[in-house]
Parts: sequence; C-alpha cells; structure tokens
Amino acid sequence: MPAKVIVQNLHKRYDDFEAVRGVSFAIEEGEIFGLLGPNGAGKTTTVECLIGLREPDSGELEVCGLDARRYPRAVKEKIGVALQSTSLQDKITPREALRLFGSFYSRREEPAVLLERFALVEKADAALDTLSGGQRQRLALALAFVNRPELVFLDEPTTGLDPQARRELHGAIAEMKAAGCTVLFTTHYLDEAEALCDRVAIIDQGRMVATGSPRELMARAAVWPTVTLATSRAVARERWASVVGVSDLWMDASGLTVQFRTEQATATLVGVVALLSASGVDLVDLEVKKASLEDVFLNLTRTRATAAKPARVVGEEGHA
Amino acid sequence: MNALWAHLGVSLRLHFRNKMALLYGYLFPLIFLVAFWVLYRHEKIPLLRHMGELLTVAVLGGACFGLPTTLVGERERGVWRRYRLSPVPTWVFVTSTVLVRYLIILSAGLVQLGAALAIGMTVPAHPLDLWLAFTLVSLAFIGLGLVIATLADNVPAVQALGQCIFLPMLIIGGVAVQLASLPLWAQHVSAFFPGRYAVEALQGCVSGRGFGGVRFSLLALGLVGVAGCLAGAKLFRWDAQQRFAMRSGKLWLIPALAAWAAVGLLAEWRGRIAIAVDAEPPPPKAPALAVPPAPPLPLVIPRDATPPSASPVLPAPAVVSPLVPMPVVAKPALLPLEPVWAKITAKDTAELDYNVPPDHGIVSPMSAPDEEAEDFMKDQVQSVRSKIASWPPGTDGDDLRCIRNLLYVAAVPDAIQMPVERYLPRVVYQHLLDTYPKDKLTKVLTYIVLHPEEGMVVDDISDLGVEGTAGDPLVVRERAYLYAIKFIARLTGRVKE
Repeated sequence: MPAKVIVQNLHKRYDDFEAVRGVSFAIEEGEIFGLLGPNGAGKTTTVECLIGLREPDSGELEVCGLDARRYPRAVKEKIGVALQSTSLQDKITPREALRLFGSFYSRREEPAVLLERFALVEKADAALDTLSGGQRQRLALALAFVNRPELVFLDEPTTGLDPQARRELHGAIAEMKAAGCTVLFTTHYLDEAEALCDRVAIIDQGRMVATGSPRELMARAAVWPTVTLATSRAVARERWASVVGVSDLWMDASGLTVQFRTEQATATLVGVVALLSASGVDLVDLEVKKASLEDVFLNLTRTRATAAKPARVVGEEGHA
Repeated sequence: MNALWAHLGVSLRLHFRNKMALLYGYLFPLIFLVAFWVLYRHEKIPLLRHMGELLTVAVLGGACFGLPTTLVGERERGVWRRYRLSPVPTWVFVTSTVLVRYLIILSAGLVQLGAALAIGMTVPAHPLDLWLAFTLVSLAFIGLGLVIATLADNVPAVQALGQCIFLPMLIIGGVAVQLASLPLWAQHVSAFFPGRYAVEALQGCVSGRGFGGVRFSLLALGLVGVAGCLAGAKLFRWDAQQRFAMRSGKLWLIPALAAWAAVGLLAEWRGRIAIAVDAEPPPPKAPALAVPPAPPLPLVIPRDATPPSASPVLPAPAVVSPLVPMPVVAKPALLPLEPVWAKITAKDTAELDYNVPPDHGIVSPMSAPDEEAEDFMKDQVQSVRSKIASWPPGTDGDDLRCIRNLLYVAAVPDAIQMPVERYLPRVVYQHLLDTYPKDKLTKVLTYIVLHPEEGMVVDDISDLGVEGTAGDPLVVRERAYLYAIKFIARLTGRVKE
C-alpha cells in the first residue's frame, strides 16, 4: 500500500530548545498510527509541522503524495484535523460550524450526514456553550471529516474527557478504522493506543525511540509480567526475594502487599504457594498482569512510575 | 469566495447573538445622542453640526474596540488556529473580518442617524457623499483596529491600547472637543490623528459642501486606512501563542505609523493646521425645502436698486468681527433681478417648523410687547432703539441682508446670554414692522429660515451700545434662525399678541 505520510529526518527548534531531532516514520494507507511520548517529547510539534501550523527547520514531509512544505494549501485540502481542544465561538451551532468549515474546501460533506454520523442531530441547532465536553469533541471530529479527508490527524482527542465520552470517541475511531480511514493519532493514554492503533511510534526528547505494532513492541522490549499479591500476614523481604524468578520486588509499608516481575510466571507462582504454605500465611488477593504498552513505554523512555499506579502514564492528569 | 461569504454570514449572525456587543455597538453611541438631545432639544442645527463627531465616536468604538476585542478574543480561544488548518488564504479571512466590521459599524451609524432624525435633526446635506465618507472613515479606523489586534496579546491589552488611542483622539484629536477651542499646539497634534479628518469629512458631508470641501480629509483617511489594513493583514496572528514580541516582520508596522506621520506633515505643509473660529461647516439647509436653493448670483445689488432686489450669495460663511465694511459692492449694478426671497410662497411659510423654545426660556427669549426692561438695562435698550434705524448693517444693502443683520441684533445678546437678551428681540421686531411691509417681511424671514447658512454673521453690536462679542458664529446663526421663526409666527398670527 502507498504511504500516506512520510516523515524523514524532521528537525524543529524553538530558540535554544530543539523540540524535534531527526524524527522519521511512515504511515500506510488505511492504518491507524499512534504517536506516543511524554509531555515535551516533540509529538505535537511533529504533528503541527505535518498539518501546516509550524514551519520545520529541516527534513522532508510528504502527506497524501504531496510535499507538505511546498504545497501546504493543497495538503490542507486533503487532510482533516481534530485538535486537542477545538475552540469555536460560544454561540455558533454545530450545523453552522459544519456549514462554515465545509465552505473552506472544494470537496465537502453535507452537514446533515456528519451530524448523523457523530450523533449530533439533537444538538444541531444548539449553541456551542450548551454542549457537553463529549459533544464538543464529537463536533471536533465531525469538523475533521467535513472535507472527506484522505488522512485524519487526531491530536490527543480524548484528553480531558470523562470515561463515558472517551468510550464514545473510541467507538468513533473504531468506525474510522472499519471504514478504512488513515489516521494519525497522538495520545497520553497508552491503553487506548494499544486498543486502537495498528502501529505506534514512541518519541522521547525529540527522538524516535521505537516504531511498530503494540504487540511487536511488547515482544521486542522483553518486558515481563507483573505479579501483585496480598497476604494475611507480612512475610520477610528476603524470603520473597528467594522465590524463583522474582525481580524488581516492591513491598508496601505494612508488608501485606507485594509486587514483583517474573520471567517464569508458572515456576514463580509455584514457589509463592510453597512459601506461603510453609509460613502459614493465607493468600488474600492475587493478580498477574501481562506486560503492556505502558511497560514498553516506560521502559523505553526510562521514566519511573510507581507500581501503585499501574494504569497511569507520564503526563496523565488524573484520568483512569 | 464561498469561504468569504460563509465566514461573513456566520460572523454577522454571531455578532447579533452577542448581547454585550449589541449593547456596546448600538446603545453606547446612542447615549451621546440622547445626551445631546437633552441639552439642545429645541434646536435642530446644533445636532446636525455635531453629527460628524457623533458618527466618528460610533466608528471609533466599533473599529478600535469592537474589532480587536472580537479578533483577539477568538484568537485566545483558538478559533483562528482552527481556521488556519483550512486551505483558505489569510486575505479571505482578513477581508471578511473587515467587511463584517464595516457592516456592523454602518448599521450602528444608520441607527444613530435614524435616531437623530427621529428627534428632529434635519436631513444631511449630501447623503451619498456622507455614505462614502463614512466608508472611508470606517476603513481608516478598521485598519487601526487590525493593528491593535496585532499588537495586543490578549483582550485586556486591547482595552489598554484602545484607550491610549481613543482618549487622545477624543480630547486633542478634534473628535470630542472642537478644534477651534483647542490651543494651537493641540491643533498641530490633531493633524496627525485620523479622528480630525473623520470629523471633518463626515461633518462636511452632513452640513457642508460634501466631497468638494473635504478632499484632503478623505485622502488622509484613505491613506491611513489602506496602510493600517496592509499592516494588519501582513502581521495577522492566528495563534495566541504567537506573542507579538517574538513575531517576525514587525517592520510592517512602519507603513501604518508612516501614514499617520505623512498625513500630519502634509497638513502642516499645506497650512491646514490652524482652525479659525469661522472655518466650521455652516449649518444645514432647513427641512421641507419648498423652494430650490438660490441661484448663485455673482454680484451684490445695492439696496436702492429695489424693487426687485437680490441677495448676495457668499461662497462661505464668514465672521465680521468687529463689524467691518461689507464686501465690495460692484458698480455699476447689474440689471435688476428678482430677489431670491420673492419666490417664497405662503405654503413655504406655513410648512416651517414652529416648534421653537418658549419666549420665557433660556434660548431665544423674547419679552412681551408691554414688558418694561429693568432699570439697569433701560439705557442699553434705549440705545439700541434709537440707533437701530441708522445702523449701517441694517440699512446698507439689500433687504435680505439688512433683515438678516437686524436679526443678529437679537441673536448676539442671546448667544452670549446678556441680561438684555430678552428685550432686544422686541426692539428688533418692532423696527422690522416699522420698516418693511408685513408680506415682504414674512417672505424674507421665511427665506432666511430656509437658508440659515447664507450671508455673513455679525457677532458684534457694540455700535448700538451693547458691548460683547459672540465667540461662536454658528450659535449666532442658530439664534437668528430661531428669532426669524418667532417673528414669522407673530406676523402670520400663529402667536397672538
């Protein structure tokens, strides 16, 4: 399949700070591609260079077969963009916004079709300031599709949304995938990247550190499963450490909750059962969690995260 | 073009959904008008004389506050960043923004004009010229608004910058304070402000000679407007993150500043700085013009040539202060022509607006026929009574000029609120009755009411024993206009005495 996006050796500097340092990647047609990285990693700058909001210092950008640096306007005709926070005037209605933005393009979708597709029919003529966060974000997505784009950029579209709204957006993105859309998707939420993206690229400090499907990255990173268990009484740290395969051991202050990684899950669990039987301690809770994209991300970006917050990633602001 | 019209349409709709914008754009300018009406509700001419200033304030508010506040507010919200993701070029959005603002300002101007007409203002002398001048004034200030939007990083900065321009323009820029009453240094400074040219251009079209008299002002406004719009478009900022201090291309501000400087220097060079007290545009023609304007007669017919006689039609009003000989009378006189007032009909007289201030009020007071002046004023009244029959301005020249000059004997004390103001109109009225036939006097007075801008103003009647000089010749004209109506009302029996 032809590549919809080709980025080669992209560089962008802000005064003394080099935000992007030689990033390269390609996105195939029909692919949902995730661009991941901690805050300040350079992913938003990369996207902004691609969509024409910033002029790169150097590098090659090809979007939909066009040189994005030479023909930014032609590229804008072919792409759709949903920014992290698409702000419109308070009193504009979704129907007016779709009609207005549709007038900006030579090829356009009917507002009624988009209102239906993004479940905004009931709010079509309501002022923007009466819409919920989820409805606004659906409108942002609808605006991204107003020109029937060949390629859609979604820049952290679920940031700040409640779980229900996030789930609705996941559904919309899944529909795009089913419809064969090509999507470049940036997010802080690694679980949604893992669930939605065909391939991801991880950027850290302006450099690309990994590219591939979530499964490939997890396999390549050789990150082991995590075991978390709770006991009725505390067991000495050295006795846990003596169990076969245990590494990265962590215990809470009471000693009743223990977490560790293991390369040999079955053998380790047998050892744990033997230890607890010998000590006369009951097992209260047990969880074995396979390695996730988050583990890969943390491993690659060398960012420490506490084991007590297994679902969190860098830059997240209190969202489950 | 689809994008331009769609953006224009949505922007207009959103403007009319914004209550604060409506309040500020339409109600605020009307407050000035209402205040003016409260002060001068009995007089039509002053309102017309100040429409240039009132309209300028409306344009200034809409363009220098309304435009940048909306633009910067939307930029801060990220609206313009979203627009930038579209393939539409910058000029389309800038053009649409300028057009939207022009339409908003135009509608505010029409509301103001309509309200002024509703409360009795006479129709502007040159409506089409006024519209075109208003368009140029709007362009000049919209350009300024675009530059303010470029300079301001946020909405509070718009307010600060706007005030920095708005207030000096009001106070020493010839917008709120008439240039004639400013010191010379301020008149020099005002030449560098577009506000001065805005007032001149608009006022010239409302009550002056239209485009013919305000060409320089229109040129100045066009230059300032084009330069401002160019700078505003070139420095257009899509994103609130683009701080002005970090912005490249700041040199585009130079054309905008250079235009102001060039206009001021050009005005200095052409000697257009100092404003004489008589240089203001003359009052307008009165409403219900039943007779065509007087044909321009090149020469003055001496009074002894009557009947018939003709009135001098002077190219522009001028102050005679102190009373100086009248313009040179051509000799020999031309063939006797029918005087301009001869075409006045009873219908013209009947259709005049007799709604004038009461005789016992502050403006144009008039004593009753049997009312005696108080002791300390009796000498003045007697002096006027004894000298008026031989007073040269009231005797030399044609009837129209003499009667107009005699009206000034009543108008000058009223204009400067002398204690004797209510008694002299009675003296003048009696003298007119004694000198002229009623029918002729009625026609001449009616002609004066319908053409209040014609002729010269006498603002000093010290020859009659009444010391004091009226500072504003237009006020003297207004009062003469009011006394003419009062005299006609008595002559025609509308007021019984």
